[in-house]
Amino acid sequence: MKPQEPIPHNYSMQTLNKIFAISSIALLMVTGAMVGYDYIRGWKKFQFEFLRMQRQRIEQEIKTASDAQTADRLRELDKQVKVSQREIAKNREQYRASQAEAERWEGKHYAADQDFRFAKATLDAARYETELAITQKARDAGARRRDYAERSAHVDQLQIRLQEVTRSRDAARARADVWVKKVKDLEDQRSETTAAIDRLNKQLTTVSANSHFFILNAPMLDFINPTFKVDQVVLKDMFVDMNYMGVPRVDRCTTCHRAIDRQGFESKKEAARMQGELESKLDAFKIQPQQVEDTRARIEQLKKIQAGPRDILNPYRTHPKLDTFVGSASPHPMSDYGCTACHRGSDRATEFGRAGHTPMSRKQERRWSKGWDYDKRNWGYKVNPFLDTPMYPRQNLQAGCVKCHAGQVSINQGEEITRGTRMVELYGCHACHKISNWRFSNLRKPGPDLTGIAEKTTPQWAIRWIAEPHEFRSTTRMPSFFYQRNMVDPHVVERREREGNIKKQDAEVHAITSYLFDKSTRRKWIGGMGGDAQRGASLVESVGCLGCHVTTESFTEEGGKVRKAKRDDFPLERNYGFNLTGTGTKSNPDWLFNWLKNPKGYYHDAPMPDLRLTDQEAADITAYLMTLQKRDFMQRPVRNVDRAALRELSKSYLINTLTDKDAEARLKSMSDNDQLVYLGQRTIEKYGCYSCHTIKGFDGLKPIGTELTIEGSKNLHLFDFGFAHDYKAHDGKKEHILHTVPSWIYTKTRSPRVWDDKREKNYHDKLKMPNFHLSVDEANSITSVVLGLTKEKVDSAKLAGSDSRSRIIEEGRKSISQHNCRACHVLDGYGRAIAQTISDPGMLPPDLTPQGERVQSEWLFNFLKDPTVMTMRPWLSVRMPTFHFSDQETNTLVTHFAAAGNVSQFDTTRNLVPDARSVAVGQQIFNMLRCIQCHPTGPAAATASADAASLAPALNLARVRLRHDWIPDWVRRPNEIIPGTKMPTNFPRDPKDGHFISPLADAINSPAFAAQKSGLLPYFRDEAELTKTMSDAVALTNYLRDYIWTLGPSQMRTASPAPEGLKTIVPTDRGSPSIGKARGTPEVKVERAGR
Amino acid sequence: MTFIKNYVNMLSGASSSFILLSVLFLFIVYFCLLDGRVRSRGGMAMLAFGILLTVGGLIFSFPTFVLGLTYLASMFLLAWLGPRIWEKRIGLYILVILSVAFGLSMLDPQFFLIAGKPDNVPIAAMIFLLGFFTWLALRKAYLNDRAMAAGGIPFEKTESDEKLFTWPDLVYTEMLCMIILSVVMVVWSLALRAPLEEAANPTTSPNPAKAPWYFLGLQEMLVYFDPWLAGVVLPTLIVVGLMAIPYIDTNPRGNGYYSFRERKWELGIFLYGFLVLWSFLIITGTFLRGPNWNFFGPYEYWDLNKLVPLVSINLSELIWVKALGMPLPKLWLIREFFGLALVGLYLALPPILARVGFRRFYLKMGAARYYVGTFLFLMMMSLPIKMFLRWLFNLKYIVQVQEVFFNI
Repeated sequence: MKPQEPIPHNYSMQTLNKIFAISSIALLMVTGAMVGYDYIRGWKKFQFEFLRMQRQRIEQEIKTASDAQTADRLRELDKQVKVSQREIAKNREQYRASQAEAERWEGKHYAADQDFRFAKATLDAARYETELAITQKARDAGARRRDYAERSAHVDQLQIRLQEVTRSRDAARARADVWVKKVKDLEDQRSETTAAIDRLNKQLTTVSANSHFFILNAPMLDFINPTFKVDQVVLKDMFVDMNYMGVPRVDRCTTCHRAIDRQGFESKKEAARMQGELESKLDAFKIQPQQVEDTRARIEQLKKIQAGPRDILNPYRTHPKLDTFVGSASPHPMSDYGCTACHRGSDRATEFGRAGHTPMSRKQERRWSKGWDYDKRNWGYKVNPFLDTPMYPRQNLQAGCVKCHAGQVSINQGEEITRGTRMVELYGCHACHKISNWRFSNLRKPGPDLTGIAEKTTPQWAIRWIAEPHEFRSTTRMPSFFYQRNMVDPHVVERREREGNIKKQDAEVHAITSYLFDKSTRRKWIGGMGGDAQRGASLVESVGCLGCHVTTESFTEEGGKVRKAKRDDFPLERNYGFNLTGTGTKSNPDWLFNWLKNPKGYYHDAPMPDLRLTDQEAADITAYLMTLQKRDFMQRPVRNVDRAALRELSKSYLINTLTDKDAEARLKSMSDNDQLVYLGQRTIEKYGCYSCHTIKGFDGLKPIGTELTIEGSKNLHLFDFGFAHDYKAHDGKKEHILHTVPSWIYTKTRSPRVWDDKREKNYHDKLKMPNFHLSVDEANSITSVVLGLTKEKVDSAKLAGSDSRSRIIEEGRKSISQHNCRACHVLDGYGRAIAQTISDPGMLPPDLTPQGERVQSEWLFNFLKDPTVMTMRPWLSVRMPTFHFSDQETNTLVTHFAAAGNVSQFDTTRNLVPDARSVAVGQQIFNMLRCIQCHPTGPAAATASADAASLAPALNLARVRLRHDWIPDWVRRPNEIIPGTKMPTNFPRDPKDGHFISPLADAINSPAFAAQKSGLLPYFRDEAELTKTMSDAVALTNYLRDYIWTLGPSQMRTASPAPEGLKTIVPTDRGSPSIGKARGTPEVKVERAGR
Repeated sequence: MTFIKNYVNMLSGASSSFILLSVLFLFIVYFCLLDGRVRSRGGMAMLAFGILLTVGGLIFSFPTFVLGLTYLASMFLLAWLGPRIWEKRIGLYILVILSVAFGLSMLDPQFFLIAGKPDNVPIAAMIFLLGFFTWLALRKAYLNDRAMAAGGIPFEKTESDEKLFTWPDLVYTEMLCMIILSVVMVVWSLALRAPLEEAANPTTSPNPAKAPWYFLGLQEMLVYFDPWLAGVVLPTLIVVGLMAIPYIDTNPRGNGYYSFRERKWELGIFLYGFLVLWSFLIITGTFLRGPNWNFFGPYEYWDLNKLVPLVSINLSELIWVKALGMPLPKLWLIREFFGLALVGLYLALPPILARVGFRRFYLKMGAARYYVGTFLFLMMMSLPIKMFLRWLFNLKYIVQVQEVFFNI
């Protein structure tokens, strides 16, 4: 055969084969790369690292557990086992025989058991057949019944037989077991000894890299049951807003944050905090007895963490405050709340940047942005502008509380957000920026009423004040509207424009003043005479003015450096009223006298309460306040109004409705003063002064600020960052602006006009938000509140404080916050700012944390309406003011306290009459405990003691004031109810089980109390009963209460309705002398000056 | 460097780049394919236009001056190169120059940001592929043309008619293609990841919001036409027109081999439509349209705040208000009379052209083919015409009847 001719090809086969070989290998390699890319994930590294940490820790624990002592014990046990085994070996024949016997019986038992079970199964089937036959009335029903009965009997027999066989088998087994019992016992002991180590070893296998580990986590096999996997919590009722629908949250944060819900990985700081908390709880018996041991172990663990060589860093940390957040027993368990419901961020993401982590500062952003390096904490972070809900940065974490807790005034564990909310209320953010939620609705206007400004101060002062309030008082809440960054800052505004702006700002300041004084009422106030400034000064310090007011503008830092005070040098409560410095410069003394006497006479919304000052007192205080002068301020130069600027501004408003020609004509017809008043009205409108102050002519106008109700949900691109990248705040701190929403809001609060930098804008288009001179902390708190105002809808079950009882409590809290009760009282565990100024704790106003359960609602109602109905501690100089509450306002507070104390509002216990025996016994106990030392029992005794600080409320007032159940409870554990109270703890707790120990149990038998003992004996059957009663704290305190119940009257004076004229109270007439005149019905007479 | 960047940025303005590309197309056809000379009637006309552009630019607007200079430079360059552009060596030079320019441009952060975006990489690749294959096809066409002009036959005809085996000549090579393509695709997808982005939010649309790359030409048309035209009528006509080509183009020559001279109108029109009116608009939409659909040079920062005045004007306003100094007539029929007349005139062009100008085609193609073809051609040309009207007169609409949402 001829060899076949070579086939002609278009391509060289060899080349094609080569290409084929190379490309196939390339395909294989890229496929491998594809699998690899899919396999290598950032979170796996974290999980691997966490496994390593766990392994290390377990190994450490094993090392500690397997100490020398345990090893010795094990060796001993092993020796004993060997001895026992030798013994068995000696009697091998007998041992084997018994073994064989036992096994034989085992076989028999097996057979008998099977027989029984089979027969039983047949019987059950037969029962069914029989029942069927009976129901269907089959012909063979009778036969079947008989058959069934027979079988049933057979089964019974088999059962008896089985029992016999079982007994025999057990006996045989026991005989055989005798030989091995000892060895078994020893082995049990052994495993008991090693139990802890065994458990740890078992744990160790779950975190070790063994052969399983590699197979389970191998690429392409890791779909079966890998160690490394995405961890997630599905939250069915917490939704991610997908714009068209809500999708249940799937939080995958725990994929990297492995230890978030596991104790033992706390940071050192958190561990120290927790240790302190747990220890103080232990000391105060606040831990259930059965949990004490666990708590001790936990404290040990926390100590170990603090002693560790390195702090644990995120993502491996345990969540702080595990008992409040994330922990399964906390109010926010992870299974119900997850992570992103509070923190926000992208719930399903498993990469650092995509998860929505938000840097807290430029520095952190820079560090995060660098590549990926765990040790340097670089995460390859990039801003994701399309993520609608990036996480809250660290300083604004508590913003996450707001969406569920918006119905609460104070949030437990949310001090920052509580403070921020209070700040928003006090500083009046809500006045210009509408916030439609419960917390910020129905609040009084934050600034004083200006309809009568001419009665109170002078235009010269007002001009300087409006121009720059902070120059007058460094702590004022009145923000600065004028001469701000976008108007006069030489770095921002070029020279010519700056000069024009200054002129225009001058004109506006003058115009506002002109308008206010032009429209002001001019009632004549008659002041007091003969005031003594020194007396006044001591009155201000003693009657309670300093709860709401501060009288100094200097602040001493810790190092002893004295500087000008800032607002947050003082508690918020003390900033509630204005700083009293400079009052003399500002105020008209006649007006001031009347204001002190009756603030509501000046305007009905006045936040200042009535301290029931006598005319003399008011005159003294007036005299004192008038000595608080700031003459420098009045020396500040005031530039005259530039007529051109005034014209230009007035015209700029006129031409909104008029043509240029008409506007000119109109201007010509107006005098300079008319122009000023006209411009003033427009300027007040422009800056929105009327939002905070009541000003004549601006009723019903809408606030000028952007609504903030859902500000926290606003997308990043809706914020105008302008051209600003950094700015120098009023306190000289240079701050960087991040391109994030929190940073924008923060910057807006710190330097409101910074967005105008480098922009070309008309005068009126420039930003108008005033500068509140907020400190960093204040700005952060307010930013948190604003960020928390979102449109997220929360399932009603997860809304805090939405049940009716909570609503009552919260309404009360809102009122408490509004009336600044915390200036003097502790409420819900915090407050009493006045304590800063009163050194003797015995002279402090009371702690009202347990007020509801303490006092009767009826009494409280009367007392709030008119505090003069009862004087508990006549030696106090601080006065409970009269707030002139309406009945409704009073009820809000009374129901609040009752609900907060979880007691019913009204009861009949006041009318209970204790039996004579209880009273007699109680009196003896009263004497034995020497209550009389501090507590007077009658009105005469109240003033007996000179040492006021050691006195306690008179007990004759108890019956009409205190609750029946309260007295014994209070006597038993005063220090637990109000920590630090002066009431001594007569019944200490047993440190072991927390029971009360009665000191009388021993005392009754001491010779010192012989008289009391003999006095008590008649009321008891025998001495044993007496001794038993004397050691029973509950019984003793009940007797004591019954005695106290008899001390005072059962009825009290009630408050009379408020006088009708109160709200419109006006000054006394010019002619009548005001000093020495009793507070009578004021006469209504308003004089208007001029116009 | 900055000078070059500024120069390129200036040239890539919407009108400049379009004009430049159109004339480049013309130059290549004239000088490189049809052996045109500068010293010919056509050449002198082009030269005259270039000088006009330059001088006019010098007086009125600097960008036009730059455009004029570039026009003249590229005209002389291409005239000098002539058919040599089809030589492999020159082709390689061009490729190298373009690649180096592209590579250097990638050093510019703004250019890198846009061209390096994973979504845009295929379009950058498309520029090169499109250029290469166009060059290749035209080279073959030119060589064939030259051979035929010399009395020879096209290259394709010289290839043997002998049969080849399915295996390995077809299947083996196909398999290799498959494998290599898979490798490329996998490497590509690994190198340029396609991330899952955030959930769509109707209130936060990306700016610029861009259509998929293959629709960017259409999106670009929306700048010049009312949506019903740019989004409905014109795309429909494109599809219908492409389908109609075999029935309109009955020229039997050029079948089975590359040739330009034998079908210069057919190829010219097609290539102009495909390269300049379609591919170029895609490239524009991808690389040069930034936030708010503003035009940005390739090295320009995409500034979100850039504002371009919107001062385009309707024909009716141009005539009634500006020229005649009258208010707009209330009745739209009167108001839009001139526009409607103009559009009517444009649509009436085919029969007019059949007598003057296109008579040659009318006779060759017959009435039906002629009318369909010319209509489609006019429709195609309406795009550049409208674009020029916009650039020259800020013309918004020729006809605007808001009353019935009818705008042209």
